[in-house]
Amino acid sequence: MTLLFDTQYLFVRALKKVIRNPILLFFSLFQPVIFLTLFTQLFKGLGAIPGFPSGSYIAFVTPGILLQNGFTSALSSGTSMVDELNSGFLQNMLVTQVNRSAILLGRLLSDAFRVTVQSIIILVMAYALGAQIVTGVAGVVVILLTIATFGLAWSGISLSIGLATRRAETVTAIGFFLTFPLLFMSTALFPQAFLPTWMQAVSSVNPVSYNVNAIRALALGGITWSTLLSAYGVTALLALLTLGATLYQFRKVVS
Amino acid sequence: MADIIDVSDLVLVYADGTKAVDDISFSVSEGEFFGFLGPNGAGKSTTIKVLTTLLRKTSGTVKVAGYDMERNPQEIRKLVGVEAQESVLDPDLTGRENMTLQGNLQQMRGPELTERVDELLKLVELEQVADKMAGRYSGGMKKRLQLASSLVHKPRLLFLDEPTTGLDPQSRVGIWKYLEKLNKLEGITIFLTTQYLEEADKLCGRLAIVDFGKIVASGSPAELKREVGADTINFSLEGGGQDGEAAKAKKILSSLEGVTEVFDSDGGLTAHAKDASRIIAIVVRALDEGGIRLSSLNVSTPSLDDVFLQHTGRRIRAEELGRMPDRRGAFGMRRRI
Repeated sequence: MTLLFDTQYLFVRALKKVIRNPILLFFSLFQPVIFLTLFTQLFKGLGAIPGFPSGSYIAFVTPGILLQNGFTSALSSGTSMVDELNSGFLQNMLVTQVNRSAILLGRLLSDAFRVTVQSIIILVMAYALGAQIVTGVAGVVVILLTIATFGLAWSGISLSIGLATRRAETVTAIGFFLTFPLLFMSTALFPQAFLPTWMQAVSSVNPVSYNVNAIRALALGGITWSTLLSAYGVTALLALLTLGATLYQFRKVVS
Repeated sequence: MADIIDVSDLVLVYADGTKAVDDISFSVSEGEFFGFLGPNGAGKSTTIKVLTTLLRKTSGTVKVAGYDMERNPQEIRKLVGVEAQESVLDPDLTGRENMTLQGNLQQMRGPELTERVDELLKLVELEQVADKMAGRYSGGMKKRLQLASSLVHKPRLLFLDEPTTGLDPQSRVGIWKYLEKLNKLEGITIFLTTQYLEEADKLCGRLAIVDFGKIVASGSPAELKREVGADTINFSLEGGGQDGEAAKAKKILSSLEGVTEVFDSDGGLTAHAKDASRIIAIVVRALDEGGIRLSSLNVSTPSLDDVFLQHTGRRIRAEELGRMPDRRGAFGMRRRI
């Protein structure tokens, strides 16, 4: 019971912080718009190249942008945590009776919520630009859920680094170092066949690819259980690792 | 009265091997206003962190209200309030929201909490700005809001870690007023750390002087000053006592009847003497004959600074002036929460 209440208090607080910070709010909402615009404009011609799997590049790349936005946002989980550690806000919480797990849960849920809002913006924009989700509302819900869970798993990376190093710069540096190679060496932006052979190898074991493929299947093809299950399986495995590390670091901090 | 804090043989060694608290024992009775006076790095904050369940002690026994630190941390959190040294407010929430969140985390909600928040905002005179963002508050207002937040769940015991450090004198006096009120009228036991002599002298019924993780003296301010047993004569030497002047002057002073102790202090010397005003003429004459030139001289009855000097051989004021940013940084780095 206290877990639920405390999580709710901290969830609300985290959202208030975003809403009241106009610059942060602007960038969280427009970051996805900018990515979508840049990528679709830059690579518009790709759709015409023989061997490109679907009709338009926008329909193809939207799942990739959704995911890319999801894990870029997930990086901020770690930096917010560092902020709280270093400002003393976390210590202040720890001298109260607050449920310890709620501190992490409130953070993770508010980040997942933010990513979901951003994802909806991307989907609406992509729709306006002509991309469609063939599986309808149910498909959209599953897509949002897929991104949110992947985002959570990815948050674990920034959170554990943040808790271990207590430096926002380190979180950002390692975060970007991991994010961009994984993004480019996946099926997010280009069809796998378009990648050099060695990148194809990376792409086929890349968790990003699994999730993008699942979302893309939902958007363009239909529900394919095997793709969906393997995406969730990969995410679960990743979450086990990253959130496990987060929990371990968090315990070290709170005990 | 029963002891609300009971600490014996407490030791805290950080992971890097720094011994921040070195075998201290003390107890505080319910209703007392107790203080830790000492320079930066003396182990004051570390002791508070142990007592408020933030740090795990290396060894020793610590009981708060009869509860064991390791076995019942949650019980302890229920009845203690803590005001940390650093500002722990959320700048993006209003003063009222900060307090309400604090109450929520202390498992309070509904009208009971709303009323308590209003009452406390009134106490610290922040009703006018309660709905403004805390990030816009002045230093003194932030400290007051923090004090009010730490009181939201009606703690029996309040820990204040340097509650007035960095404040202007007027805000400091304001905080003192609330603290005395809380202690006297509401009977809340207060444990305060400070590096300000005046603050310790004015507020604390009893205090411990700490240095390098050890308690070097304890008692009421009056007792401690009485123990010094002598007045203080401060000498400033011309040219800061260079070329062996200080050593020479020290020798002359030590030989005089009535002078009990002589210490070096910044740019001069400090001597302890019974009834200093009576022998001052003799002292000056002796120094003059010895060729020592004074740039100034003053006589005072003992202060807590003299108590500190007597026990540590240093002045606490010199430490305050020498508060180097790198020292703070180093402390912050090794500090676990």
